[in-house]
Amino acid sequence: MRKKELKLVVTFHTTSDAMAMEKMCKANGTPGRIIPVPREISAGCGLAWCAALDERDVIASVMKRAGIEEEAMHECMV
Amino acid sequence: MNLSDSKMKLGIAGILCGVVAAALALLGNPANMAFCIACFIRDTAGAMGMHQAEVVQYARPEIVGLVVGAFIISVATKEYRSTAGSSPMIRFILGVCIMIGALIFLGCPLRMVIRMSAGDLNAWVALIGFILGIATGVFALKNGFSLGRAYATQKINGAVLPAITVGILLVATCTTLMKVSEAGPGSMHAPVIASLIAGLIFGALAQKSRMCFAGSIRDVILMKNFDLFSVIAGLFVVLLVFNVATGRFVAGFNTPGVIAHSNHLWNILGMYTVGLAATLAGGCPLRQLILAGQGSSDAAVTVVGMFVGAALCHNFGLASSGTSVNPETKELVAGAVTPAGKVACIICIVVCLIIAFTCKRENTK
Repeated sequence: MRKKELKLVVTFHTTSDAMAMEKMCKANGTPGRIIPVPREISAGCGLAWCAALDERDVIASVMKRAGIEEEAMHECMV
Repeated sequence: MNLSDSKMKLGIAGILCGVVAAALALLGNPANMAFCIACFIRDTAGAMGMHQAEVVQYARPEIVGLVVGAFIISVATKEYRSTAGSSPMIRFILGVCIMIGALIFLGCPLRMVIRMSAGDLNAWVALIGFILGIATGVFALKNGFSLGRAYATQKINGAVLPAITVGILLVATCTTLMKVSEAGPGSMHAPVIASLIAGLIFGALAQKSRMCFAGSIRDVILMKNFDLFSVIAGLFVVLLVFNVATGRFVAGFNTPGVIAHSNHLWNILGMYTVGLAATLAGGCPLRQLILAGQGSSDAAVTVVGMFVGAALCHNFGLASSGTSVNPETKELVAGAVTPAGKVACIICIVVCLIIAFTCKRENTK
């Protein structure tokens, strides 16, 4: 089983925002992957973007350029 | 205990839910309908006189328990969020479509899994449609489908549906206002207190584990993530063991008494409708009740849509009939899908596809 690590987890207001984020990141080669929102963050069942902690600034600038608004940025074990 | 931090614990949550469903079957709920959200909403709608099908009228305490169980556990663990505003009327329509699709097939995704575990091959056929419906929903999501975001609202707004369900329970137990079936599936039920407790436990477990039949397959297709699927797998395994151990496992298509039909195309299309509409609405019928319990008025509107859909199904003759045995001639009478039901199912699929490919993320900005 993959070992859990502390990661940056970005949550969104809608599933489609998360899908747009995935599309944008894939197109730009931005690191990270789409994951179900970790249970400790939310009782909802949406999607989130997971990346390394030190990618926070890169992720934030990609989102700003694409006009994707985050719900929150968390640091949690994924 | 945190029920959600590993697939093993999620599987245990599913197993516990399976035990609850099996207990309800033993205590008197109809065969293979131990815990069906669509059937129980339909029965409750009938009890309130929203439709006049005399054999399916009974205010099911399980529905009350699910909503209130999710409400109590979410308040107790500070996860209750009163939200609203994500295209409520579209969600209402999706609720109607979910119910029409479910009553063409004769069961919600939960009952589909219960029927699968009892050897009903019709449910395995319907699973194909359910997966295809979810896959279509995922395709729409990838193409930018969105109903827009929900916003925080007055705290008490999210408590309205739980309060209404408690009201239904009080009226059903303290007055004679509700209709109660004297024959048929509506007359078969576990004792009220057992049904209520079962619903509360199931609701709390489903809230903690985020159990969702549509979401589990969505996550597998979208991300190859099996977390939610492990809950369903746990539920299926325990019910399979229960059915085999108690001699209820009968593999076959035309099995009388299980309230199912063998019209393969319409089993597939019925569950295709449910899978597609549920993916667009963000959850299966069970999940809608749980989300409504933890404060989502958008999910509550979907639930209201399901009640109205159930009434439409029986008032307009859309619901299918199950295979049965003629008590006099002892001949097998095949269950059937009605012509009106077939038309309604096609309309629902068209409506869902229009919603799926016209409601775009950029329109909500």
